[in-house]
Amino acid sequence: MSDTADTATETTDDVEPTDAGREADTMPSPDPAVDPTTAALATDGLRRTFGEVTAVDRVSLGVERGELRAIIGPNGAGKTTLFNTIMGTLPPTDGRVFLDGQDVTERDEHERPHLGLARSFQSNELFEEQTVLENVRVVVQTSRRGAFSFDLFRDHRSVGRERALELLDTVGLDAPPSTLAKNLSHGDQRRLGIAMALATEPEVLLLDEPTSGMSPGATTATANLIEEIRDELGLTVVLIEHDMDVVLSISDRISVLNRGSLIATGPPEEIQANDAVQDAYLGGMREEL
Amino acid sequence: MSGETATGGGSTETLDRARSLLGRYRVPVGLVLVVVLLRPVISNPLLLGYEAVAATILIWMVFVAAFNLLFGYAGLLSFGHAMFLGFGMYAAAIGVSGRAGAPQLPFPVAAAIGIAVAATVGYLLGRLTVEKGEIYFAFLTLAVAQAVEFTANRNPLNLTGGSNGVTQNVLPGFVESTRGQLVVVFGGLEVDWYWFVSAVFLVSMLALWQIVRSPFGRSLVAIRENGDLARAMGIDTTRYKVQAFTISAAFSALAGSVLMVDRYGASQETLSVITSGDTVLMAVLGGVRYFFGPIAGVFVWQFAEEFLNEFEVLHLGFTSVDLSGVLTHWQFFLGALFVVLVVVAPLEGIWGYLRDWVRDLYVRLKGVAE
Amino acid sequence: MNTTELTREDLATVSPAWWAAALVAVVLLAVTFAVEPGLFIDQAIGGLVYGMVLVLVTLGLSLILGLMGIVNFAHGAFFMLGAYLSYSVVVTLGLPFWAALILAPLAVGVVGVVLEITVLRYLYGSDPIVSLLATFGLTMMIEEVIRAYWGTAPLEISRPSVLTRGTDLGVTTVPTYRLFLVGVAVLTIVAVYLLISRTDFGLTVRAGVQDGEMTEFVGVNLPVRFTAMFFLGAALAGFAGVLYSAETGMRTTMGETFVILAFVVVVVGGIGSLFGSVVSGILIGVSAYLTPVVLSALAEVTNQPWLALQIRDLVPYLVMILILLYRPRGLFGEEGFLE
Repeated sequence: MSDTADTATETTDDVEPTDAGREADTMPSPDPAVDPTTAALATDGLRRTFGEVTAVDRVSLGVERGELRAIIGPNGAGKTTLFNTIMGTLPPTDGRVFLDGQDVTERDEHERPHLGLARSFQSNELFEEQTVLENVRVVVQTSRRGAFSFDLFRDHRSVGRERALELLDTVGLDAPPSTLAKNLSHGDQRRLGIAMALATEPEVLLLDEPTSGMSPGATTATANLIEEIRDELGLTVVLIEHDMDVVLSISDRISVLNRGSLIATGPPEEIQANDAVQDAYLGGMREEL
Repeated sequence: MSGETATGGGSTETLDRARSLLGRYRVPVGLVLVVVLLRPVISNPLLLGYEAVAATILIWMVFVAAFNLLFGYAGLLSFGHAMFLGFGMYAAAIGVSGRAGAPQLPFPVAAAIGIAVAATVGYLLGRLTVEKGEIYFAFLTLAVAQAVEFTANRNPLNLTGGSNGVTQNVLPGFVESTRGQLVVVFGGLEVDWYWFVSAVFLVSMLALWQIVRSPFGRSLVAIRENGDLARAMGIDTTRYKVQAFTISAAFSALAGSVLMVDRYGASQETLSVITSGDTVLMAVLGGVRYFFGPIAGVFVWQFAEEFLNEFEVLHLGFTSVDLSGVLTHWQFFLGALFVVLVVVAPLEGIWGYLRDWVRDLYVRLKGVAE
Repeated sequence: MNTTELTREDLATVSPAWWAAALVAVVLLAVTFAVEPGLFIDQAIGGLVYGMVLVLVTLGLSLILGLMGIVNFAHGAFFMLGAYLSYSVVVTLGLPFWAALILAPLAVGVVGVVLEITVLRYLYGSDPIVSLLATFGLTMMIEEVIRAYWGTAPLEISRPSVLTRGTDLGVTTVPTYRLFLVGVAVLTIVAVYLLISRTDFGLTVRAGVQDGEMTEFVGVNLPVRFTAMFFLGAALAGFAGVLYSAETGMRTTMGETFVILAFVVVVVGGIGSLFGSVVSGILIGVSAYLTPVVLSALAEVTNQPWLALQIRDLVPYLVMILILLYRPRGLFGEEGFLE
């Protein structure tokens, strides 16, 4: 939280500075490992507001190279907004994003995949009317040719087809490559989303609820796939996940988000025992009831 | 679109290989068929009975296909595309005629200027509008086209001829008009205007087809399907859209320059927003998701315009009905057909239905044979 | 559909360049007024009339767009239909102009209702491009009907004698009809604003668009209200058509011209802002009429005759392009609407 003071004076100078200071004091030091210059992915005081609502509140994360980090939190905690802000889908109101020590806050959304940052979506975002193969191939093509390319004289089938088939194999998608994406089962659509994210050849991969809506068997397979991605491809993985079994079994560390703020970060067993986390979840339960 | 069919994996059989080649190159084959068949078909006495419009129809096909590169493939609905047709038309007419003190230019140079102007306007307008949302884009292009039409109507520097258009001395040196027929003269060689237009048609359509099947074209399709996802996957959606707009504008102007010769000049009517609207109608009528959609749409539209205006009496054997009064208002019925089409399946069009129908027929015939 | 007001913050964000531009505009207007006071007032009122017609047309378009999410291309055709129907009421039926002022908009409203029930009802919630295309097809049909029934030659009606006299304003005499039109337009705009913002009707339509199921669940008959909304939008367009054509006559091109201008007004005013539409409609109308006068005065003062460009038709589009370049969300627009 090194620049809390700066940001407070810059943007909220009508609000009493004591207010911001008090919150900063009472907040638990959420992520002790933050060092933007060495982490694979780091955020520093990241904040995003929608009008009066603060969806992401001064989040400082530091994910180490090769780490598998899970982000958990009650519904509406701001997890997806955090991803959107990291990816540049939503410009942050405040704060910085670092990738591999490099400040990428000002980079356009479409530049980030080329810098090694990729994501899958919570809702199945696909090129629905295209084939499974084309969904992945066009991303492979983009990764090889750059964000824009006047590649006019080739047949698209000669660019990235093998790599795309390989990636479909990696994620274990068995449907024929000529199937239209919209006709895939829900689980296969999620796998396709991961294959597309991998097609950008990322170093850091953000996965937004990769197992949601999956059967227990498919959930286990996906959890194994994620571990494999980390172990065999050597990627850094940040994962939003609701299935606590998956979270506890595969993640190295867990960060807990509540009402937009990071309230704890640590190894699974530590997080399970953390009072603030229990409060957040039980409090959320109480509100829902 | 071709593209998805050839993904199933290779086969060793010669027949299969031939079929797969045919599958891969069915668009070029289809284009040649269009050129070869169009004139005999429409000059059949049962249909129009005269062939003069055949060349005009081919030019319109190029224009609407250029429009559809933008709408069908990049997902941007331009409601002002007539202005790009107009840039080509007016530049060619003004350059060739050398009116009002403009330098007299050979047709290719004048056409090239028109294409360059259209591409520049497309590029700048694209920079200003492509990220504004599709409705915004549609109306902004419409409004700019309206402004262009008004400007031409004001006859700036006496160049555009106001509402009369440019019609004097507009035939290029290599085109001669004998008894109302255009003939292209290269040295001692005389070529029918239709075949000259056919050459332009084939070259332009093949270029558009190549763009659509290229990696560039597939990026456009990805953007059309899901712009947010495309951006998240690293595609610079803005630049692709702007370039698609530029390319579409350039091809439209090319069609416009040839249309100028075909129509003996540049007319303000062709520049009007009504033409822009007709363009949208033709593309949607034909089917915007298919490469041959615009071709089908233009054929049906132009044919309907010529045919239904001529049509007078329906002979049913036992009785005859005079339909001339009703059919001069063919636009009403076409509008109704269009509304139904849009409400039922806005992207399929005639070509989509035709494909489904042929496929069903094929399946049924196969069933009978087996 | 907020009536955004200029707040202190908004004024603070206005850059010095805008102030400079405003100053230049004021100086130019003052010079013009000094050179040709009669023509200036004449054209200013002409512009105000034109602007009021634009606002009336835009009102219906943006109500249907803002509340129901339908981009109604046929709005211009409704405008034109109102004009031609008033011709039939006055010339064919021989009724007075006042009857046309009531009957023609009602008839256009009924046409709107028929189209809503038969076509547009199936398009709620679909891609706005689809509604744009469908209403474009409807426009074609309506325009063909007009050409078939009334013909393509320009038509005219005579106005009641009360309105054809002139009103003396000192420097010039203004046709009374113009003042009448401005007054009626202002009353209509206020009435529509009150209907939308202050009554149960406007509230339920807005709620219905946001959450149809919930609104129906609490007992509101939404289809009927949507239809009524469409009636209102179409009738407003028809009303504007009657008012406008009584002065200028009826032409078969007026529909397309005005639907495009209405959208230009929406873009300049800012999508989603009723207040913005009113301001931008008047701004565009007045500037379209005054720009040629200013240019001709300038030509006279500087002795450069080429400056006297007749660009009235072009001014709305020039204003739009300027706005797009320097204030993309429009004068009073909310950010991100329809994007």
